[in-house]
Amino acid sequence: MIKRNLFSIVIVLFLLNSCDKKDPIIPNEEEVITTLNFTLTDNTGKQVVMQFKDLNGGVNPIIKGGKLDSNTLYMATLVLLNELGTPIKDITEEILSEGVDHQFFFESTVMGMTIAYNDVDDNLQPIGVKALVSTQDAGVGTLKITLRHQPDKSAVGVLNGMIDNAGGETDLEVIFDVNVE
Amino acid sequence: MWNKSLLFVLLIFSSTFVKGQGCAINISGKVVDVNDGSPLEIVNIYVKEIETGTYTDINGEFAIDNICPGSYHFIFSHVGCNSKEMFLEVKFDTTLIVDMDHNGQHLNEVLLRGRRETSTTQKSEIIKQQLVLDNANEDLTTLISALAGVNALKNGSGISKPIVQGLYGNRLTILNNGIPQSGQQWGNDHSPEIDPLSANQIRVVKGAATVEYMGPNMGSVVSVEPKMIDKDPHLHGRVTYLFNTNGRGHSTNANLQKYSNKFAWQLNATYKRNGDKKAPNYLLNNTGNQEANITFQLNKSFSTKLNTDLYFSSFNSILGILRGAHLGNINDLTEAFRREEPFFTEPTFSYHIDAPRQSVSHNLLKLHSKYFVDNNRFWDFTIASQINDRNEYDVRRSGRSDIPALSLLQYSHFVEAKYQWERSDNINFKSGIQFNVTDNTNRPETGILPLIPDYRSYESGLYFFLSKKLNNSMLEGGIRYSNVMIQALTITNDIPRKIERYDRNFNNLSGSIGWKYPLSSPFTISCNLGYAQRNPAVNELYSRGLHQGVSGIEQGNVNLLSEQSLKSTLVLNGKVNKTFSFELTGYYQSINDYIYLQPTDELRLTIRGAFPVFEYRQDDASILGFDFSGLIDIGYNINLTTKISFLRGDNISQNTPLVYMPSNNALTGISYEYPRTIQLFNGRLNRLQFAFNHQIVLRQKHLLSTQDIIPTPEGYQLFNFELSTNFQIKHLSLRFISKIENIANVKYRDYLNRQRYFADDLGRSVIFGLTLKF
Repeated sequence: MIKRNLFSIVIVLFLLNSCDKKDPIIPNEEEVITTLNFTLTDNTGKQVVMQFKDLNGGVNPIIKGGKLDSNTLYMATLVLLNELGTPIKDITEEILSEGVDHQFFFESTVMGMTIAYNDVDDNLQPIGVKALVSTQDAGVGTLKITLRHQPDKSAVGVLNGMIDNAGGETDLEVIFDVNVE
Repeated sequence: MWNKSLLFVLLIFSSTFVKGQGCAINISGKVVDVNDGSPLEIVNIYVKEIETGTYTDINGEFAIDNICPGSYHFIFSHVGCNSKEMFLEVKFDTTLIVDMDHNGQHLNEVLLRGRRETSTTQKSEIIKQQLVLDNANEDLTTLISALAGVNALKNGSGISKPIVQGLYGNRLTILNNGIPQSGQQWGNDHSPEIDPLSANQIRVVKGAATVEYMGPNMGSVVSVEPKMIDKDPHLHGRVTYLFNTNGRGHSTNANLQKYSNKFAWQLNATYKRNGDKKAPNYLLNNTGNQEANITFQLNKSFSTKLNTDLYFSSFNSILGILRGAHLGNINDLTEAFRREEPFFTEPTFSYHIDAPRQSVSHNLLKLHSKYFVDNNRFWDFTIASQINDRNEYDVRRSGRSDIPALSLLQYSHFVEAKYQWERSDNINFKSGIQFNVTDNTNRPETGILPLIPDYRSYESGLYFFLSKKLNNSMLEGGIRYSNVMIQALTITNDIPRKIERYDRNFNNLSGSIGWKYPLSSPFTISCNLGYAQRNPAVNELYSRGLHQGVSGIEQGNVNLLSEQSLKSTLVLNGKVNKTFSFELTGYYQSINDYIYLQPTDELRLTIRGAFPVFEYRQDDASILGFDFSGLIDIGYNINLTTKISFLRGDNISQNTPLVYMPSNNALTGISYEYPRTIQLFNGRLNRLQFAFNHQIVLRQKHLLSTQDIIPTPEGYQLFNFELSTNFQIKHLSLRFISKIENIANVKYRDYLNRQRYFADDLGRSVIFGLTLKF
């Protein structure tokens, strides 16, 4: 008797279950970085903007390199955005507020092009949201920008922008074509 | 791993009635070897209540005279067999006939329990409770990987899933107390959520096809079977504690049980805690784990015909993952592999578990009734529900490390009705119907698009199974039909996000035939042939997105078809004489439309770098292998054991090897047991055993260099040592165990452990354990 009752309860449960499963709630992807803008400004105020914009998880990203002048010093600023929702969210602040846990690395294949850090975290160690980019001779190459989360800033060369010993995990990794004229 | 598991077959006793005469009752009996009926000499029989013992004589006979009427606990112990307790209400002179399995040790043959279970021609092996308790610090997978042909697919030391004859994950059925385990089996980094310490035995069926169980019936089944409550009216219990130096881990298990005519109950609880494990040269930070499990069982006999039990189990674990194994993109992986020590290695030991970590909880409630129509026929009804709650945490920005990156809630409900009829003409008939519904939901608060979609699946199954004993041989055949409906709701990757609905319906047919035949003594041969269909699982059909487990973007394929498997197994079993016995299993499985994850030529350029794209494809595959176990009794109470496994998996269509196939390995052991009982502090010390073993795992050479990011690791050899003994004092029985694993502190990496990209495997560990029974 008890068993029969239990069985009927179970059968009712199944019947209740057997209607269509309802739509999932689309998660709010607030952590995602869709866009990286690398803005370089020379002393006349002329700006060059390099951009990597990836709204579809790697399907047809917009990648825009830049033309730089030779023998020029640029003030460079990185801005990270999440453009999935409205309003567009600036992720740069998240990076700055956790500056000790983040560091950008710049690697250029253009001869004579150097990038120096122009900001510090709470431990007076570089982050790389602000940088100084200087060019020498004309040339063509690439600029790779990598953001590492929880790197070991005390490892050899890391404070000088060497990525090899940095560790941590890669949050961003983009490569731009650069043309120094 | 150690396997000195010894079989003890329960005893059958018959009573002869002579009138009771105050305190002048005589208990006599005979102990025989279950294999050939020969008498066993020097079996110790001890009666707890009167603290009296005796030994069997050369004819296996014993007698205890002049005891008063009452309740007594008898303990039978013999060199090479596990001691077993038996409760007896003594009213008259009684004769006992006790079967002990003296010769069949190490071979883990099928154990027949009582009259209700029938033998099968399918090969199965058993891990007994003693071995489970001696390895209380280990998980289910590690325990069964002691068997030939069973391996562990690992992710560090805490996460591991079983591979049986090359099948794992979606192709392996795992039963928890008869219920198909319903969780996130698709993930290579998801352990089965079952506490092995709740088990009386763990059975691994290495068959050709199993028609009786729901789920992917590709031949192999792992079944965790809890203990039946002993028919003993007193409160009995057991406490086990184990300490392991590597990880400074504590494992505790307690069991309490009581039987009465009204109802019987059993309670089992486990708590484990480990800190950071250690590789030979460095600490593996954040590899601790914590586990708290409980099972409760209630059993009531309403009449001699109707027996009902209620079973509840709750499994809860938190598993740390090596901090240095957390990756952003695939370059991080190659960079990690170049390093001598993993990133984030720190010298300070800690029990603390940070992200990355997994937190899993699994609950099972089962109501089961067995109704005997008569002595030879019964009905069996089961309803069960499971809740699986899995949360995985990654290292994330801005405090989000405490928000799971993957959060899945799964409910499943199972109903089964079975009928079994053992006919007098030696025909045994079994049939059953089953229904299961699984509902899987992603929690959106992860803030990450789900890898596995929300889905609901319905599976209904029907099977028939027939076996017949003919003289000494046995024939069997079974057939199963099941229908699977899957309704999945995926979220698109492009903006704006959309929800897509998919419905698939599969009809799976499977069947098996088997034959077991005693060749000329002492050899027995059994052959099985099985056909099975497995429908693609939800992850194979619909997963999409970044999968940390493969460091790539994974894409399901909605057009996949069912796999079809044809497997044949051949088992040759021989007890050549008292000193040598062996078992050789050969198998060949051909799987058409084998589903596997293949890296495509596409590298997807995301803002996080370039990721390889993996796609599910189907090809024809084959798995060929053999397992060998052998035992040599070289005299002087010294035994030699060996286990060898060979396996080769191929993708026949592409003419390439299959990935994640175990490499060939062998385990050789030597053990000595002191044959006598030692009197010590009014107690009795017996079963003093020493064992030493050597494990060799060869390099997996059957893999192309393009099939992995890094070369497969070198082969390795490990040495292990074990010492154990039992001590009986009054009503208490104690067991001590001490082990040293990886004695030489060898530095090695294993192909089947995903942590090999980042760090060495575990270094030496010394283990001390104690079990107390009352």
